[in-house]
Amino acid sequence: MTNNLPGIPAASLGITSAYASATAPHATGHIRIAWRNRLVVFRLRPVCVASFLVFALLALAITSLLLGSYPTRIKDIMALISSGHDSPAHTQAILISLRIPRILLAALCGAMLGLAGSAMQSFTRNGLADPGLIGVREGSIFAVLITILFLPAVPLFLRPVIGMTGGLAIAGLAIIIARSVAHLRFVLVGIGLSWLLASAIAMLLVTQDSQTAQTALAWIAGSLSSASWDFFPVALFFTAISALALFATARSADIALLGEKAAIGLGSNLKLTAMIQLVAAAVLSATCVATVGGIGFIGLIAPHLARLSTGQSRQFSVLFNSAIWGALLLLCADTIGRVAFLPLQLPAGVVLAVIGVPVLLGLLWKQRHQL
Amino acid sequence: MSVSVTSASRSAWPFPVLLLALVAFTGICACLYLMLGPRTINFATILNAITSYDSGNFDHRVLVDIRLPRLLAAIIAGANLGLSGMLLQGLLRNPLAEPHILGLNAGASLAVVLTLALPTASLAALAPLRPFTAALGGFVVFSITVLFSSAGRGGLTLLKVTFCGIAFSALASSLTTAILLLDEETLQKIRLWLVGDLAGVTLHMLYASLAPSALALVLAVFIAPRLNVLELGDAVATGLGISIRQIRFLTILAAALCAGSAVSLVGPIGFVGLIVPNLVRYQNGNDYRQAVPLTLISGATLLILADLVARMVLLPHEIPTGIATALIGVPVFIMMVLRTSR
Repeated sequence: MTNNLPGIPAASLGITSAYASATAPHATGHIRIAWRNRLVVFRLRPVCVASFLVFALLALAITSLLLGSYPTRIKDIMALISSGHDSPAHTQAILISLRIPRILLAALCGAMLGLAGSAMQSFTRNGLADPGLIGVREGSIFAVLITILFLPAVPLFLRPVIGMTGGLAIAGLAIIIARSVAHLRFVLVGIGLSWLLASAIAMLLVTQDSQTAQTALAWIAGSLSSASWDFFPVALFFTAISALALFATARSADIALLGEKAAIGLGSNLKLTAMIQLVAAAVLSATCVATVGGIGFIGLIAPHLARLSTGQSRQFSVLFNSAIWGALLLLCADTIGRVAFLPLQLPAGVVLAVIGVPVLLGLLWKQRHQL
Repeated sequence: MSVSVTSASRSAWPFPVLLLALVAFTGICACLYLMLGPRTINFATILNAITSYDSGNFDHRVLVDIRLPRLLAAIIAGANLGLSGMLLQGLLRNPLAEPHILGLNAGASLAVVLTLALPTASLAALAPLRPFTAALGGFVVFSITVLFSSAGRGGLTLLKVTFCGIAFSALASSLTTAILLLDEETLQKIRLWLVGDLAGVTLHMLYASLAPSALALVLAVFIAPRLNVLELGDAVATGLGISIRQIRFLTILAAALCAGSAVSLVGPIGFVGLIVPNLVRYQNGNDYRQAVPLTLISGATLLILADLVARMVLLPHEIPTGIATALIGVPVFIMMVLRTSR
């Protein structure tokens, strides 16, 4: 289980080949833990990178907590923690009902998108797959928008389920049209479908009054400005279920990379794995859409950042690190959008595109010989 | 230098007949466009308005002040978008190329929004230059895309150029969104324009877009026979005395001028440049010299029809024209993807 999977098809759009040099087995730098009859071996570098990322995320969260149109100091936060309700009421209100839920939601949604992206890239074996790129996000937006506009009575916690249905329908359609998920055709067909849905969404909005349309537009652009505690339990619930499913299938996802015959020979149920990954990715993407709206690029770049930073392409490690990278990216983008142009706020989705496109281009540049 | 490579036409109709038929069809569409709307105007009134215009007549005012500028805008923008798509497809030898997909439209929009948001820019002075500003933006973004995707062992591949185009297009449009969100005044000025809409076109904008369109057309007529030779491959084209680099530069320039004048007029409208050249190729074969006039006319017709649909389908609402073209264009795009990757 320590070795990297040899002979991974390099032609699969460079999802693994770009990292082959970084993932060469090291002679040293292992931590071995014997547990029952199993030997669990950690590599030193991935563990260090992962813990560094976790610390970076914490530091960013605390920084973000201090910044804003009403500046708070470390002292205020300490006072809030130690004395609870004795601290000044406005500080309490700003921190507890505005900033903390927003930061938590940003981190959670970023992590969801990172997970969704790595699941998507794993089962399509395509490094350019992303829920936003192949129409799953637009499908969710379309379904949720119809619910919000025409069936406002539907409760909050059902919205991710409805969004998921829409997203899955679009993913299924793309798979049927392209006939193969591993081919570039699948991504291009997905892009086409997402354009189609984007125009359908715009058409839906034209028929609404301008107030509704404006609110819906801000939501589609992906903004955390309306974050509150209401969404948190729903988002957490769906994230927990999907994350469990994804981590549970991580090993068979690794085996799937060996090729169909080898994987079946090793006793892995390929179809089931792919199905679980697709559904989990759709659930995560739809939950994110239902809570903060359409946010792109994270699902695409977080898995690559995870592989590059840890030098690991094992699915378990990719899932974990890409969740943290996603959280970092979205929190960073949201903080920049919130603070950089005070008193105006930019939606996190816009900031992310500005950060994300150079990263995407860098990835394309790295793989320029394969494409 | 003699450059004439004829390719067999697949059409049952010879080129002149096809051209005439298309012109006639465009004429019919234009008449329909002028007649239909929230207020239906009959054909006799149109003739009447041409022969003896009466500024007191309400129907005449509607025709001349509202529908005619919009019709002209659809014609100019549609022709430009079609031509731009044709040039890009010839340049990349790839039927999937399209100014909207490859980032020309987004670059053009960014340039226009940037100049509008500049605090010192006086609108009145910049308005005639808007098509050129837009063309410059499209040119810069697309040049970067081409340079970036030419890197690497495989050279410029369909995959790389499409992805780079989509990526740079996303970057340009998110920068545009950011500028607009930070500068509400500019947003108010061009909100409708930005989704790609023909409503709100004025005669001044039409005049301003004529010069770059004409320039692009002259370039296209010059380039077209050379694109035919380029179809034979870079090596053969070089052997026949064609400077590949010069042709590439001129083609990108012409495509950017086309996209720029279309975008400055009606905003970023997609898919016309995808559908029209492919239809023309299907109907009349691969000769770019014949494709230029056919593409111009069919592009105009397609945008007239799309705008007619956009105005009529959801009465009393009007959907932006760009949405109507996307609804027609995306299925074509998917079909092309399936066909080229087989």
